[in-house]
Amino acid sequence: MVADKTRPSPLTPVVLAILLSLGAEEKHGYAIMKDAQTPAGGSVRMGPGTLYGSLDRMIRDGLVKESGSSDDERRRYYRLTSVGRHVLAAELERLDAAMSAARSMGLIGHGSRS
Amino acid sequence: MKTTRIERMYRVALRLYPPRFRAQYVEAMAQALRDGLGDESIQFRSFLSLVVLDLVISLAKEYGAMIRESLSRPLLVLNALVLAGIATGVALALYVIPLNMLRSGLNDPQNQMAGDLARLLAKKGMIPIASSAPEERIDMAQSLAPFVIVYDDQGHPIASQAVLNGTIPSLPAGVFDYVRQHGEERVSWQPVRGRENGVRIAAIVRRVDGAQPGFVLAGRNMREVEARIGNVQTLAGLTWLGMLGLIALGTLGVAFFTQPPHADLASHPTA
Repeated sequence: MVADKTRPSPLTPVVLAILLSLGAEEKHGYAIMKDAQTPAGGSVRMGPGTLYGSLDRMIRDGLVKESGSSDDERRRYYRLTSVGRHVLAAELERLDAAMSAARSMGLIGHGSRS
Repeated sequence: MKTTRIERMYRVALRLYPPRFRAQYVEAMAQALRDGLGDESIQFRSFLSLVVLDLVISLAKEYGAMIRESLSRPLLVLNALVLAGIATGVALALYVIPLNMLRSGLNDPQNQMAGDLARLLAKKGMIPIASSAPEERIDMAQSLAPFVIVYDDQGHPIASQAVLNGTIPSLPAGVFDYVRQHGEERVSWQPVRGRENGVRIAAIVRRVDGAQPGFVLAGRNMREVEARIGNVQTLAGLTWLGMLGLIALGTLGVAFFTQPPHADLASHPTA
């Protein structure tokens, strides 16, 4: 099955965390893992296996691409593709809409960050 | 524990990943481990437990992904299906051939007895036989010995070497009708219907011609042969499951060692 890039289904926390981490700039694996653990990155704890397994599938889906490696070729850097950026934006909009709906129903306070 | 030793152990564990994944990411994963072990802002133990847990979970995920990718390789799936078909055919043959041999062999003495007695009764008549019934009768529920029962032309029992629950059981009228037309019928007869583990008899019914027509039934309890058939069924079933298991393992082995390169893989939904 080919993922519809224009209307993506809800992303898994790991994929969203990776997309968020790569949103600003290209990063290597461990930097993505550290970003993901922060509250801003989704508070997702992932190890190298989960990270590279997800990156592998995200590369195949055209969300992320490898942008280079360190001089000793041990560190590999990744960045978002335009499709990945579009999917991230769509997911954030979806979450934002869900948060707005939750606020209007009084499920969370108006002061809560979305 | 020194970080170099941990990394060595981690590298050994990384060999468990499917070959394609390993070839692409083993160095990057080892580097991520090194980065984490050298990062003083995180707890050493916490990071190590995360890596170990992640190793187990991601191994399962990568093998799951490998199996899903294998299912999208038509040649591999076709090969497995053909082998499964052959295995099913072999297992069926392993069941059906002994089943037929056992079941048909069960009729051999009855065939001879029914034929001999039907010829004798046709020549000498029914009455003398009927009056010479043995005093000691076979209990057809217990004994495996073959026995004969003689019925008159209306299907009423005249004489019998065997009884069931103290009486001579009657055959369904349809059997007599069939034998009147065709001369012989071979049936698996259950004299008392509806009982679990009821007595089942391998019976041959022959027409007696002549001045006093009637019928001869030669039968034998099927208990032992049915037990053997049950064993054959179990063995054939286990053989089938074993062959399917080997085919599945072999297919996964082939998928493992012949994973296509990254670019050749079909696009999959991100997970």
